[in-house]
Amino acid sequence: MSHQPVAIVGIGQTHHKRKRADVSIAGLVREAAQRALEDANMDWGDIDAVVLGKAPDLFEGVMKPEMYLADALGAVNKPMFRVHTAGSVGGSTGIVGSHLVSSGRHKRVLSVAFEKQSEGNAQFALGGGKGASIGAGGAFAPFIRAYIRRSGAPEDIGWMVAVKDRLNGAKNPYAHLKLADITIDKVKESPMMWDPLHFLESCPSSDGACAVVFTDEDGGKAASKPPAWVLATAMKSEPGWYSGRDAVNPQAAHACAQEIYKTVGITNPREQIDCAELYVPFSWYEPMWLEAHEIAAPGEGWKMTQSGATALDGDFPVNMSGGVLSSNPIGASGLLRFAEAALQVRGLAEDHQVGGANLAIAQAYGANAQFFAMWAVGSSLNPLG
Amino acid sequence: MADTVQEFVFNLTFPFTRTLGSTLSTFSSALAQGQIIGVRTGGRVIAPPLEYDPDSAADSGTDWVRVGPKGTVSTWTWVPEPTNLHPLDHAFGFAFITLDGADTPMLHVVDAGSESAMAAGMRVEASFKAPADCVGRIDDIIAFVPAADPSPSEGAGEPFAAPEENDITEMDAYCDLTYVDNASPTTTMWAKALMEGRIIGQKCPQCERTIVGPRGMCSVCAIELDESHVIDVPDRGVVSNFTIVTPVQYHGQTETEPFVRCSILLDGANAVIAQQEILGITASEVRVGMHVECVWAPANERSVQDIDNRSRGSGGDAIIGWRLTGEPDEPAENYLNRMM
Repeated sequence: MSHQPVAIVGIGQTHHKRKRADVSIAGLVREAAQRALEDANMDWGDIDAVVLGKAPDLFEGVMKPEMYLADALGAVNKPMFRVHTAGSVGGSTGIVGSHLVSSGRHKRVLSVAFEKQSEGNAQFALGGGKGASIGAGGAFAPFIRAYIRRSGAPEDIGWMVAVKDRLNGAKNPYAHLKLADITIDKVKESPMMWDPLHFLESCPSSDGACAVVFTDEDGGKAASKPPAWVLATAMKSEPGWYSGRDAVNPQAAHACAQEIYKTVGITNPREQIDCAELYVPFSWYEPMWLEAHEIAAPGEGWKMTQSGATALDGDFPVNMSGGVLSSNPIGASGLLRFAEAALQVRGLAEDHQVGGANLAIAQAYGANAQFFAMWAVGSSLNPLG
Repeated sequence: MADTVQEFVFNLTFPFTRTLGSTLSTFSSALAQGQIIGVRTGGRVIAPPLEYDPDSAADSGTDWVRVGPKGTVSTWTWVPEPTNLHPLDHAFGFAFITLDGADTPMLHVVDAGSESAMAAGMRVEASFKAPADCVGRIDDIIAFVPAADPSPSEGAGEPFAAPEENDITEMDAYCDLTYVDNASPTTTMWAKALMEGRIIGQKCPQCERTIVGPRGMCSVCAIELDESHVIDVPDRGVVSNFTIVTPVQYHGQTETEPFVRCSILLDGANAVIAQQEILGITASEVRVGMHVECVWAPANERSVQDIDNRSRGSGGDAIIGWRLTGEPDEPAENYLNRMM
């Protein structure tokens, strides 16, 4: 596939909170977009096309928000695209934005993703408006129970991830949760929400948005701050439900990872990738996704968590930003992963920076663990030399 | 197959809330006081105000301007037979009204009595609710009515001094939506069987999997399945996985205590039915590998009104839940990976 190089030259996000009572939905997305434009040293008029992503419209009860937000995001007289792939949508929104540049169609594209969870209730929406909604936690808990059983992982792995991601989040000025005093005991003693998941092993409900500015190669070379280069993108889907489906180890996750590694030339992900942002809304998804994305061997993902390899100072840091466990504006959560990977290779992640990060991956998943989005970004177009 | 399509009717209600942000808070707070305002930006007055200039996306700022209460209709349409969702209970016009002092039109209602009274260029004025009933919603203005005096509004175009803090920063946005799901032939078969106290599956002729609840296709082989593939499946099986949910108290939640939802692999089937309720034991006693059997509602109390084309395996109100058979458990490791 022939395509043009794509640079990320602007990244912005809101301060994520349980409730952003100070802004409308338009104000929320504009806050992220304006930070991204400022980072890129651009103005609204410099953008050629806008891509907007969010999770189901029933979360806020605003149907087709792209119609209401077109002018708020400077899309008047420009192409505007709406993306929706459930929880992976933030990742897909970034990928669609990058493709509008890599295809050669546009030079400068703004991708924005958001959720304003406080305007509605995700459990209500995920339950189709009926009582006894099991929510995302209830849907994923059986997968997690299956993973724990088949891998033989000790029960404290989930608690360790919950602590590690919150300690990282405490270093991120934009994170919703900043739980610098979190401990294993606090996680373990927090209420059981979706057995075997405790309250502190679960993501918060957040208002927030994220925005990324993409440019072509010339734009990347001319950028005033270091750009990140999009090295590979992949989106894969599979049916959410079929007889015998292995939701712990989805084929679509493997397919995504294999395509990314092949495109970039990664033969040993654990060694060659400097850090990763994985979509971990519930603690156990860290080891599960390390395995399903072929970073760890089957049944070995939890050992990376246990050994401290995935900590900020480990040899394979995961979720340096604090991850979904620290901020979960659902529709934006994927793009926040993708943006953090880019921040890392730009060297702009400040207190949560991984030293010398040149090659990073980001991943997001959605619906019944059936939609996967992933990208690899580098500090140069050829970080493996 | 039934000659008429069965319809399942659902009602969705939810009290959404909107945070208004500073611009719309200023507008709503002024409106509740009977004052309509706009914002001067990009050399014109936009009313109602927007946070951004729609042409350039630049911030609109806070150069507030008094507009109305009179204005001029630029275009309109007539609603001869309003529904209960319309703002008025008698025939009315929707119109673009450019308020005095504004450069852009706003959409509102004109209560003109008859279609023949409507015209582009007509002068109208806002008719507000009683001050005590005004809450900052756009329907604080009941309607615009033909202006008794067409002369310009007094004070329109003058600056409006916004208070330091606005009274109104949030707004309810109540959703009340009724929709109809036309049952697919497969759903109709499933629902009919439930009413008869039977569980049916469809057996794929290619991979020979028995799929419960039926979907009209085999997702593995991607081939269509129909009535000829339907088989009866025993109403007993083994718990393959479960979750215990601590209910969040959202609008419409029916649960107050932690509740269990199980996946059950029915004897002879190849796909689990998910989100089933277990009866007669506490949540903490549920185990993978337990043998269970269906507890049917009495035939005259069965209902399938709450199933739809997506609730695969839902027993509606025909299945009350599942109870232990008392047989020894199967080894958990034989079942735990059967998530679907």
